[in-house]
Parts: sequence; structure tokens; C-alpha cells
Amino acid sequence: MRRIVITGMGAITPLGNSPKELYSNQLEGKSGAGPIFRFDAKTFPTTFASQVKGFDLAQHIQGSEAFTQCGLNTKFALAAARYALEDAGLLQNSKVNRERIGVYLGSGEGSHDFPNLSAALAAGTPESGFKVDPVAFWKSALATFGPQHEYEMEMHTTSGRLANYFDLQGPNYTCQTACAASGQAIGEALELLRRGDCDIMISGGSHSMIHPFGVSGFNLLTTLSLRNHEPTKASRPFDLNRDGFVLGEGAGMIVMEELEHAQARGAHIYAELVGYGTTADAYRVTDSHPDGRGAAECLRLALQDAGLKPEDVDYINAHGTSTQVNDRAETIAIKHVFGEQAYKTPISSSKSMLGHLICAAGVVEMITCVMTIQNGVMPPTINYETPDPDCDLDYIPNTAREKKVNVAVSNSFGFGGQNVSLVVKRFQ
Amino acid sequence: MPRVRRRAVITGLGLLTPLGQDPESFWNALRAGTSATRRISYPDASPLPCQLSAEVGPFKPKDLIQHPDPTKAKTFQKQVNNLMARTVVMGLCAGQLAFRQAKLSLTEGIIPERFGVEFGAGMIASELDDLGRAARMSVDPETKRPELKHWGTVGIKEIPPLWMLKYLPNMPSCHVSITLDARGPSNTHTLSDAASLMALGEAYRIIERGACDLFVVGGTESKMNPLSLARHNLFQMLSKRHHEPEKAHRPFDRDRDGSVLGEAAAALILEELDRAKARQATIYAELVGFASGVDRTRDGKVMANVIRKALHEAQIEPSQVDHVNAQGLATPFSDRWEAKAIHEVFGDKTPVWCLKGNLGTSGAAAGAVELLGSTLALHHNEVPPTINCEHPDPECRIAVHNQGIKPLQKPYVVKLSFTDMGQTAVAVLKKWE
Repeated sequence: MRRIVITGMGAITPLGNSPKELYSNQLEGKSGAGPIFRFDAKTFPTTFASQVKGFDLAQHIQGSEAFTQCGLNTKFALAAARYALEDAGLLQNSKVNRERIGVYLGSGEGSHDFPNLSAALAAGTPESGFKVDPVAFWKSALATFGPQHEYEMEMHTTSGRLANYFDLQGPNYTCQTACAASGQAIGEALELLRRGDCDIMISGGSHSMIHPFGVSGFNLLTTLSLRNHEPTKASRPFDLNRDGFVLGEGAGMIVMEELEHAQARGAHIYAELVGYGTTADAYRVTDSHPDGRGAAECLRLALQDAGLKPEDVDYINAHGTSTQVNDRAETIAIKHVFGEQAYKTPISSSKSMLGHLICAAGVVEMITCVMTIQNGVMPPTINYETPDPDCDLDYIPNTAREKKVNVAVSNSFGFGGQNVSLVVKRFQ
Repeated sequence: MPRVRRRAVITGLGLLTPLGQDPESFWNALRAGTSATRRISYPDASPLPCQLSAEVGPFKPKDLIQHPDPTKAKTFQKQVNNLMARTVVMGLCAGQLAFRQAKLSLTEGIIPERFGVEFGAGMIASELDDLGRAARMSVDPETKRPELKHWGTVGIKEIPPLWMLKYLPNMPSCHVSITLDARGPSNTHTLSDAASLMALGEAYRIIERGACDLFVVGGTESKMNPLSLARHNLFQMLSKRHHEPEKAHRPFDRDRDGSVLGEAAAALILEELDRAKARQATIYAELVGFASGVDRTRDGKVMANVIRKALHEAQIEPSQVDHVNAQGLATPFSDRWEAKAIHEVFGDKTPVWCLKGNLGTSGAAAGAVELLGSTLALHHNEVPPTINCEHPDPECRIAVHNQGIKPLQKPYVVKLSFTDMGQTAVAVLKKWE
């Protein structure tokens, strides 16, 4: 089987715009959360989020004016992809066949134009009553919506923009499996490379749901933390008093490459991707399976794919969203697969610091795993204060811990029941 | 010893289209050269620049979708009504129809962990009535516009609590996996017009590598919703041929002036060959090639290369292909672009069939619905005509099959789909004999 390695990484996150910053801020236990500045959320049930600070695409790529109408998701993706490709020595590298470089993103949609959409809705709704008159709605919407903005919201545009801007003519995929999306993208990209469909894939994800409809939607589902008085303490995976996740945003990209191809061109190799498992809960759209049925099976499949046993795993980067249900089910799933070994395997949740980057969560956590293998320090789970009897594993509470990590596992579980586990290994 | 390649065949078909809700009526309508395009069904659509559409006729989800657990039937039907947008319901119907048409049974013969779901879907727009009240209540007496400070307090309370779950693009595949207890891989591809062909390609790869034996693969999309209609009228080139709706979508015709928005859902059962044989399933066709790539220069060169890669995987020459099932968006630029790619690989002799004259464009569902057309063509040994290509554009140097019913002459079919950004997907089907 063809071996696949990581030869480049890029990240635009609430904790920094490079893998190095992202990682060192996690080692210090910093939180990216703060009051929402993307829109006026002061009266919303949740008023804070974990946001990318001071982002200006012009500082990251040339010709950024061509992308002014793009959503933040596409802008983050362009910036993160630039750094990943540059890191891998693939920006404008004409020695590499561009038809053999593909893209696989797990990325979300752009955000609705709240002022004009809400005005069009209001224009069509009678003062008393619920039925919206489409004619009044259309008159307002067609006169005020920006055509280019509406187009750029479409989900194929992000991977399309990347392919067109960076000249990546190989296979081009975009998937949207909610919180599992970029993990699933990396996994399927791994399989495409193993099969030989191309030699290089840039994979990852990008998303921002920190807009009025995103926050409204998650608030209505009661999945967001309401700890408005202390945002940095709100994401507390595995802690007894967790009350929901903190919405994050950002992008991460990794360059994945067939080993011999990478070696032949003298590329720097960060780590090797050795295992991928994916399953569906087939349970409910609202909850994950209470016994972590699908999660356990995908963990097992990923280890089997990697040819590794639980005792070979040095570190698990958990999905760890800080919701009651996820953290309990994930703990059960890990115990189910790891048995007694579960208690000896350090686990942490990057979401305690970064918040939940939704479609981009999996890739940013994969980058964290790679940095952990490179540097030998595992990031902590912050805000872990009160143990939950149902969550009784070693979650690396509050302080980073030194350990030589050869094998790391990253979990991502999506709303609706898609599960992904990835195994990454020190390159030898 | 070379590893024996696992093969994948199509053993079930399910669909909800403007031309029928079962394979037989769909096929008959295609043979008859029927167009489904009409004036849009909204009583007054006067503000819309394009007032044409190809809509799925009335259907009763209750009769089409079943929950495996009969004790939950009632709550489930409530979920269907309240928790699923039209696109989601249509996708779920198509998935279940395909499952039953393949004579698969929930109670025997399926290992849930080896049964997956792959769908193509797009952005699912909110129904206006779910948000209208929230917007109205948020209007500020001073500015006369909805303001966030009111939205956060009084507006948000007017939105149904599970609003977001109704519209997530991965919901069609989630509901299919839940109701059919498919616990294997589940993915949702959101690559616009290429989405459902990408889903098919991925399912094919997963079966090939041995991670799964059985898939529901589909695509679903409905734009028959005021918000979608507004958005697509703004950024998509749509036909203005209001005086003759049935002739509006004209693929490769010299007088084409844009697409007609349609809606559709289609699903097929993709099954590992030995498994299909063992249960003596009806095999409609074999999937023998797939490729994807990006034609960023828009000159058809890379699109042609993607077609060649798929043919290479199928180990065939262009001369062995009976027809190319084209995308045919019917915009001046897109058809010319596509024709260049087809011409580069096939020259101007291989027949080109396009179903969009009949069906309009259903975005993420289009690839699956159209592929189903060619699957039926392989099965029935004949190819219905492309309609509305009355005066083939001389700048599209391809042989559009636009006259009568053509007998199937060769055992292979190529299906091409691509996005306006050049993302291209190609699948090759082989007649099962």
C-alpha cells in the first residue's frame, strides 16, 4: 500500500494564524473565546464565541481584491491553503504535475446577508400572522441581495476557489458532514492517495457560523454554552459543569503526499497518516448514540486500518465538545475500544481552548496532533475543575504535559451521526 | 498475484422527478420526449425574472417512507412533516424507494456496519414561514428595519426550536442511514452540479477497497422555495422563454438562453458484485470507471483529461462508448465549454444525450437523476432523444442525439457533470450482460 505523509500545514484560527502559534497557545492553556464582534449579539442568549482576530485576507494572499464578495469561510480557506502549500514548497511549483494535486475539503456555506434577508422577510410578513407573502419577499430580496455574495455562499465555491487560485487541477471534493467534515475529508483524501488517484491532496476545512442565523440556530438547539459572564471558562469538556460548546471559526489545511513523491522532491515530512475509520450512528439526528456505538466502531476501524493496538496509542485528541451528551458518549466509546488501556491513555480536547470550529474542527485538531508528535508536549483540557463520574479518564487537566508521542488519534463526530477517527504517526 | 478488484453494480433505482416517481414512468416520459417545464406553481411569481420551473408533482411521504420500528411510525411521520425540509423528504423517499426496488430487506441479509450512504446535496434554504415572524417582531420602531437587538430578545423566540436541523445538507443521508440502519460510511457531497456524481464515485471507491458492500447513493435538491428562487435568479443564468415553457431549456441549441430550475431526487443501490449475485439481484449496470479534476482554464482540456482518466480506468477506448450523457446547462458559455471537452475525446460522431431539456436543472440531484436515465437506457437497449435541441449550435461540435429513439449500439455510457468553477466528475457505466 502506498504510504501517505503530511508535508505542509496551514491554519487560521482563534488562537493564531500558524500551526506553531496555534500549538504554543494551546500549550499555555489560552482560550480563544470572547464577546462576539462579528455582529451585535449583545441580546442573544449566547453573546460570546471563539473568533479569528484581526483577519485581513490582503495580508495573506496576493490579489485578495478578487475575493471581497466571498464568505469568511472561503477567505480563511485561501489563507490557510496558501501557508500549507508554501510550507510544502508547492506554491507555483511547476515541476509538480498540477493535474496530480487534488483538493478535498470539509467546508461549510457562507453566511446569509442578515440585514437584507431579515428586511425582505419582514416586508413579506403581516403584522399579525405567520404566513410570509412571497411576492413582497421577492420584491425586497431581488432589489437588495448582492448576486455575487449569494453565489459565493454556495458550498462548492470554496474548494473551487482554491483549485482555481492555486492551480490545483486534480480531484476536487467538498463534503459537509457538520462537525465531522474536515476529518472525513482527510480520511477520504488519504484513501484517494493510497489508491493512486493523485500524488498530492490539500485537505482540511473551513467554516464560520458566527453570524446571526448560526448563533440563533445553535441557541435554539440549546447546544451552546450560556456562560456569558466568563467566556474563557465556558468550554469545559469532560467537566461536570459543562453546559454546551463554544462556537468557533477558522480554517486548517494540510498537504498530504505519497511518500516516494515527497522524498523524491526532498519535501519536509511532518508525520505519516496511517489510519482512518468512518461510520454512522444511524440513531437520531438530534443526539449521538448514548453508548457511543458508531464512535467506538470508527475508532476500532481506524486502529485496524493502521495495524495498531490501543496500547500503541500515546495520545487522543478528543472530539470533546463540552456538551453533556458528547463527552459522556465519547468516553464510553474510548473505554469500549481501549478497555483497561483507556485509563492509561492521555486524552485532551482542543475545543476547551479553540471552541468548536464545526466543519474545520477535525483538521485543526489533526494539526495539533502533528505538532504534539513533533514537539513532545500534549496540550491540556482547560477549565477542567469538577470531575464527572461518567467521564473518568485522563483528560490532561489544565496543564500541558510532556510525553514522547509516536502515535496520536483524532476523533470527529458530526451532528446527524457521522463519525471519523484518524491515526497519525511519527514518520520513521 | 494481483489483488482481485472488487466490482460494483447498480441493483436498485428510486426517484422522485418532475417526470415520474418510479423508474417506469420516468423512462416512458423520456421515451415520449416529454418536457416537465411549466409556468412556476406560485400563483403570482411576477417579481421573478424567470417564472419557469420543472417541479415534482404531489407525493405523499407517508406512503413512500417507512420507519423500521412500527411502534415509532406515528412520531416518525410527525418528524417527516416538521423536521425535514422538502429537499430532505425527497431524498429520503428516493433512498427508501431504491432500497425496496432492489428487494433488500431490513430484517435479513444486511450487515449494518457494511452498509453506507453517500448523497449529493446543496444549500437547503429556510422556508420563509419559519423566519418571517422573527423578522417582523424584530422591526425597530425608529429605523423601520429588523434590528439584531430585537432579534436576540423577541425574534429568536419565534423560530421553531429544531429549525437548523431541518436544513443541514447532511440530513438526507442521515435520515436514510437512520431509517435503513446503515451504520457504515455516510457522507454528503456539496459540489453543486457535480455533487451526486462525486457521491457515486466515492461509494464506488469504498466498495472497491473493501470497507463496505452496499450503498444507497443519491442526490436531492429542490429550489422550489422563495428564498432559493430569489437567490438562484440573482446568480444563475435562467431562461426567459416564458411564452413556451416546454421549450425553454435548450441544451446545445443555438437559441439557448439559460437553464430552467427543476427539482428532483434520485437514488440507486450500489452493491458489490458477488453480494448482488449471491442474492440473485436484478443488475442494471456495472460502474466501471470514475474520475474527477478541475478545468480551471475553461477550455475543455482538463475536462477532456478527466473523461480520459475515467475511460482508462474502465479500460476502454472512446469508440466503445454508446453515448455521452452530458450536463447541458443550456447557457451559451457552458454548453460550448462542455462540447469542446466532449469533442476533444470523442470527436463529432459519438451520440450525446442530455436530459435537462426534459427535467431542467436540479443542481446536486442532476448527476444522479441523469445517470439513472442512462442506466435505464443500458437496461432497455435504447436511448431516448435530447429534446429542445432543434437547431444544434454549430459551435458545439458534437453529435447531439435529438431525433427519435436510438437503439443501444455499444455497451458503455459516459456521464459527465461539472460546476461553473470547473470541478468535473465523470462516471462510466457498462451494460450488464
